Amino acid sequence: MTFSLLIAQLINGLQTGSVYALVALGYSMVYGIIKLLNFAHGDIIMVGAYMVYYAIASFALPPVVAIILAIGVSTLLGVTVEKVAYTPLRSAPRLSLLITAIGVSFLLENGAQLVFGADQKSMDPLITGSVMFGRVNVSYTAIVTIVVSLIIMVLLWFVVNKTKAGKAMRAVSEDMGAAQLMGISLNRTISMTFAIGSALAGIGSVLYLAAYTQASPTMGSMLGIKAFVAAVLGGIGSIPGAMIGGFTIGVLEALVAAAGFSMWKDAAVFLVLIIVLLFKPTGFLGKKMQEKV
Amino acid sequence: MSNVLKCEHLRVVFGGLAAVSDFNIEVNENEIVGLIGPNGAGKTTVFNLLTGVYTPTSGVITLCEKDLAGMSTVARNHEGIARTFQNIRLFKDMSVLDNVMNSFNTRMHYSIAESLLRLPRYWKEEKAAKKRAFDLLQVFNMQDMADEIAGNLPYGSQRRLEIIRALATNPKLLLLDEPAAGMNPAETENLMETIGKIRDSFHIAILLIEHDMSLVMGICEKITVLNFGEVIAQGTPEEIQKNPVVIEAYLGKRRD
Amino acid sequence: MKKTKLSTPVRYTINTVLTIILWALLTLFVSSSGLKGEYYRGILITIGINIILATSLNVVCGYLGQLPLGHAGFMAVGAYAGAIFMKSTPAATLLRAGNHAAVIPYIIIAVLVSAVVAGIFGLLIGIPALRLKGDYLAIITLGFGEIIRVVLTNIDSVLGFKFTYGASGLARIPKFTSLNVIFVFTVICLFLIHVFMKSRHGRAVLSIRDNEIAAESVGINTTFYKTAAFVFSAMLAGVAGCLYAGYIGSLYPSTFKFMKSIEILVMVVLGGMGSMLGSVISAIVLTALPELLRSFSDYRMVVYSLALVLMMLFRPKGLMGTYDFSMGNTIEKIINRIRGGRSKADTAETGKEVKG
Repeated sequence: MTFSLLIAQLINGLQTGSVYALVALGYSMVYGIIKLLNFAHGDIIMVGAYMVYYAIASFALPPVVAIILAIGVSTLLGVTVEKVAYTPLRSAPRLSLLITAIGVSFLLENGAQLVFGADQKSMDPLITGSVMFGRVNVSYTAIVTIVVSLIIMVLLWFVVNKTKAGKAMRAVSEDMGAAQLMGISLNRTISMTFAIGSALAGIGSVLYLAAYTQASPTMGSMLGIKAFVAAVLGGIGSIPGAMIGGFTIGVLEALVAAAGFSMWKDAAVFLVLIIVLLFKPTGFLGKKMQEKV
Repeated sequence: MSNVLKCEHLRVVFGGLAAVSDFNIEVNENEIVGLIGPNGAGKTTVFNLLTGVYTPTSGVITLCEKDLAGMSTVARNHEGIARTFQNIRLFKDMSVLDNVMNSFNTRMHYSIAESLLRLPRYWKEEKAAKKRAFDLLQVFNMQDMADEIAGNLPYGSQRRLEIIRALATNPKLLLLDEPAAGMNPAETENLMETIGKIRDSFHIAILLIEHDMSLVMGICEKITVLNFGEVIAQGTPEEIQKNPVVIEAYLGKRRD
Repeated sequence: MKKTKLSTPVRYTINTVLTIILWALLTLFVSSSGLKGEYYRGILITIGINIILATSLNVVCGYLGQLPLGHAGFMAVGAYAGAIFMKSTPAATLLRAGNHAAVIPYIIIAVLVSAVVAGIFGLLIGIPALRLKGDYLAIITLGFGEIIRVVLTNIDSVLGFKFTYGASGLARIPKFTSLNVIFVFTVICLFLIHVFMKSRHGRAVLSIRDNEIAAESVGINTTFYKTAAFVFSAMLAGVAGCLYAGYIGSLYPSTFKFMKSIEILVMVVLGGMGSMLGSVISAIVLTALPELLRSFSDYRMVVYSLALVLMMLFRPKGLMGTYDFSMGNTIEKIINRIRGGRSKADTAETGKEVKG
């Protein structure tokens, strides 16, 4: 493999990695606040992608409108799922909550199959063209994806660490009971976490569509799981962790594919997950938790 | 009289803060020792050190002259330490009988294959275990509740069952973490009798954490007082009651 | 009033007789259904396979209280192991010749091979996975399940010879899973789970579910029992896989996707985690219903997932909760009720009889 090819693959990896990172952020924030592995998160991306597809391919709306629509619908869907399915179970055993999340995920997937049809929907690329850096050809899509996700992560970091709402979110994830006693509205804070996470998923769906130009009912499932792997890898609950995890998974996949083992890509991702969970279950940047006796 | 439990210079540090420091205690056979102190003094931490939930930063724990360093909770139970918990931890979806029989697990020997094929040893050991569990329940007047689901028992009976379950592991040392918590005076009275009965009929050492002074002063032969992770007094109930340090740090505060 | 207690031999006899009656009824039903008999036979076999899958997952999910999401992986391993073994035997020729009796030893060996191979995978996966809890265990078992599928798809290119036949599928597997075979193995699996749970080992597993810290405090070796339950569950899933291979005749890795694991999980959850009867009933209903209502099949997964969410919201313990059925106990209750009715005047008597 030549050096320029390797660089091209790395950029590819960073591009997929930034989508993973955006989605991983949603997982990480939700997990941080209510300790729930939100299986349905990946499927929100799928719904977002269909929104973009229908807005552009069927209604010929301008891309900007399509993007806003996708983000809006994703956010609304995420918050609705939280209100309808998760809020009533807040004091239930964690296992019930997890099963509910799996149920919601499959409901969205199979519902989409009924509503949108089981086949893949392909569309024209959102962004075309590329630029040469030396001997490496980089598509504008890749540049936009990486830049957009970096900007969003900086923004998110700012929101979480520098605003009042962010402080509330951190307080709730630290100690739900104490936060409530301090006058923080639990419902509002949790909903806001879901809203932000789902909005990020909406942006992720646009970037995904820009890269792969197709939507299918099950696209969210594997994407979601891999993003979750990224979140765990980086240390669940940590924003920079989700970012590092996302990029790591993306680059790993690209390198495995470049080495000629693209069929083994998924296995490689899970293998890395297993190794990390066994030797450092808290991921790169996570915190340790222990049950009180 | 040989000592069952001996702790020397036990110390544990969490994140730079010593939760327990220089903790020494001796508990002998047939002896009931009380561990008291204000909230957050480190009493439950001592139990967690004894049972291997936490690893001490330094210090030695011996049970019947055997060093327990590096042993897991399970191994320490096999050595002879059993405990109850401050917040009851029963097997709440299992029957009362199964709660007790589960404690015999390590002293039963039939293998998984023997249980799947229902070989003679299975029947023999199960029958013996069932009888032993009933005998034990009978000692505490709980035989009528054998088939009840543990989680459905009234509070007092749950506490009692937790003690029976611990006793069923045939311990040399029984650790009771606030056994009277949440009980009314009549129930506490009853509990005191129970604890006395355990000491008399099982000949074991008992170390108990308790806030109820009538219970502690009533049944303990020796008392150790902890404050901020340090032992501030040790002695008989009379000595402790008169000890000015204790009164200042603990009893005095409770009176105002 | 003295309560009637049935002795163990009586209980076993009752259950054996009832099992034989059930078998006779099913056989009669299929053979008297004429042309539709073949169709019903297929449904019954699928029900049997799903019963084994659901009850075996219930061991880890309901009794041990963990949530593995890779059950389909163990089924796949068992299916491939059994199929590859069966293809190496003269079973196909014997079956074609109608010599069913001569195939029986091969079937038994195939089932054992599947159980052992799936058990080994269960051990390899269980030891690391069970160090984690809750969501982490779920995600790590999901990962292992997916790895198994990827390996089954691509292993031939590594080995350099045809072993699993990858995505194109392992075909021409002798179709040895008859109604009798599935009936016998389903009964055996249910029996094994029952006797496992009604032993010191089963109690230990349940105690870990109810309170792991307390279980350790009474000397239960939690690591051993978690692994044992996990391996046991994997072995039975392997048996189900083997019987599936012998029914369907050709295997594709894509059958054993994450979706399959979820389908099994739905059966367990709807039936009530920790209730064997619940798993059996929901396996029957969820297999038969979509078959009998063909037009419904498009909506099957939507209804499944909706049912899962609604169940968690409104009846989180499932259909049966942790209630487990015992024929002996039910008969005892009936006898006692009849006798109680006769001696109603005898109400002064309230003392409970101790069971010994």
